[in-house]
Amino acid sequence: MELTITKNATCTFCGCVCDDIELHSDAERIVETKRACILGESWFRNHTAERLYPDALIDGKPATVDEAVEAAAEYLYNAHLPLVYGLSNVTCETQREAVALTEMIGGVVDSHTSL
Amino acid sequence: MGGKVTCTLGEVKNRADLIVYWGGNPAECHPRHFTKYTLTQKGKFIPKGRKDRTMILVDIRETPSAKAADIFLQVRPNKDFEMLSILRALIKGQRVHAERVAETGLTLEQLTDFAERMKKARFGVLFFGMGLSMTRGKHMNSAALLSLAAELNAFTKFVAMPMRGHGNVTGGDVIMRWTTGYPFGVNLSRGYPRFNPGEFSTVDLLLRGDNDAALILGADPGATMPQPAIDHLARIPTIVLDPKVTHTSRLSRVHITTAATGISAPGTVYRMDEIPLPLRPPLKSPYPTDEEVVRRIYKAVAKKPMWLPPEEPAAKG
Repeated sequence: MELTITKNATCTFCGCVCDDIELHSDAERIVETKRACILGESWFRNHTAERLYPDALIDGKPATVDEAVEAAAEYLYNAHLPLVYGLSNVTCETQREAVALTEMIGGVVDSHTSL
Repeated sequence: MGGKVTCTLGEVKNRADLIVYWGGNPAECHPRHFTKYTLTQKGKFIPKGRKDRTMILVDIRETPSAKAADIFLQVRPNKDFEMLSILRALIKGQRVHAERVAETGLTLEQLTDFAERMKKARFGVLFFGMGLSMTRGKHMNSAALLSLAAELNAFTKFVAMPMRGHGNVTGGDVIMRWTTGYPFGVNLSRGYPRFNPGEFSTVDLLLRGDNDAALILGADPGATMPQPAIDHLARIPTIVLDPKVTHTSRLSRVHITTAATGISAPGTVYRMDEIPLPLRPPLKSPYPTDEEVVRRIYKAVAKKPMWLPPEEPAAKG
């Protein structure tokens, strides 16, 4: 199968955020990571586009995303002081949405910085 | 930038002739830091690259990064703050007590030489890692190092920069600063932002058991946090968004699988020097992105009736 080449790809494993990586990939996985370091290579090879996990889990049982979103909203809505935590391995666009959600549910938003 | 004296990594590459790493091990944790940004690159004012630069490493043990250093200073564990205070005195020509110097595990000659090299540099930079900011003294250590960098500007150009770990943790600081005015641990429960590390920081909240629900995304606290904090996450309804089923997913009530940032999810990520960079994901994930899922949760909560505080009981009288 023909490989897709992605030039100047950005690696998000560590804070260096190297943006000069050349990735060769087929439909499911990345097979070549030019210029990436040992950590970056394992990062890119470790994540594939395969369906390895259920879409969602509620109490450990497979569920649809719609059901899981409703369940999540119900828990967060009913909480007095919900916590929104992490925000490290997500995009800035996601972080912005997470702050908006925290404001609406009246919670605390925090990241790895506080550790 | 929160008042710190800093710069971009491009400036380090083009100008820095003295590079100090303090409490960090870039050779193993940020493998391309030396070759892409700091040591070996030739810069506009550093024509000979590595030959034009001096690298000093301060750490409690000789890590693989010591091989790349010109000078390795082995500070006694938990004596970073004392060493920084002595350096701040030495650059100003103040006298220091011999027993205070001995406490750090280094000699006065080593510290004086370090102080002189910093003052004589044309452009110096202090990179500091978790070996400084997460050990005894914590944020006071970071504050002492940032003060040292600021005070060195009386003699030459000097900057400081934290060596940030996980991918977009810098972006988290930037986005929270932009949206709320504070960089982390922001409490919005009163409808306006309040910031008080130690009170509204996650580990403290969880240890006190203050939260009655949690949404975890882009992190796996179940693998990294102190056990009592993890126990509280298991007690309350916890929701996890992650590309994999993680330790935290196993103790959560709801897990939603999402696309992996930068691999199958597009967007923007901040580098440790606060430069935003676009992602170029090569794969298409069968799962939705974190951004999309958070937005869907937002919409689902927005449909519910607005929460109003219970009415105050009428005053007796």
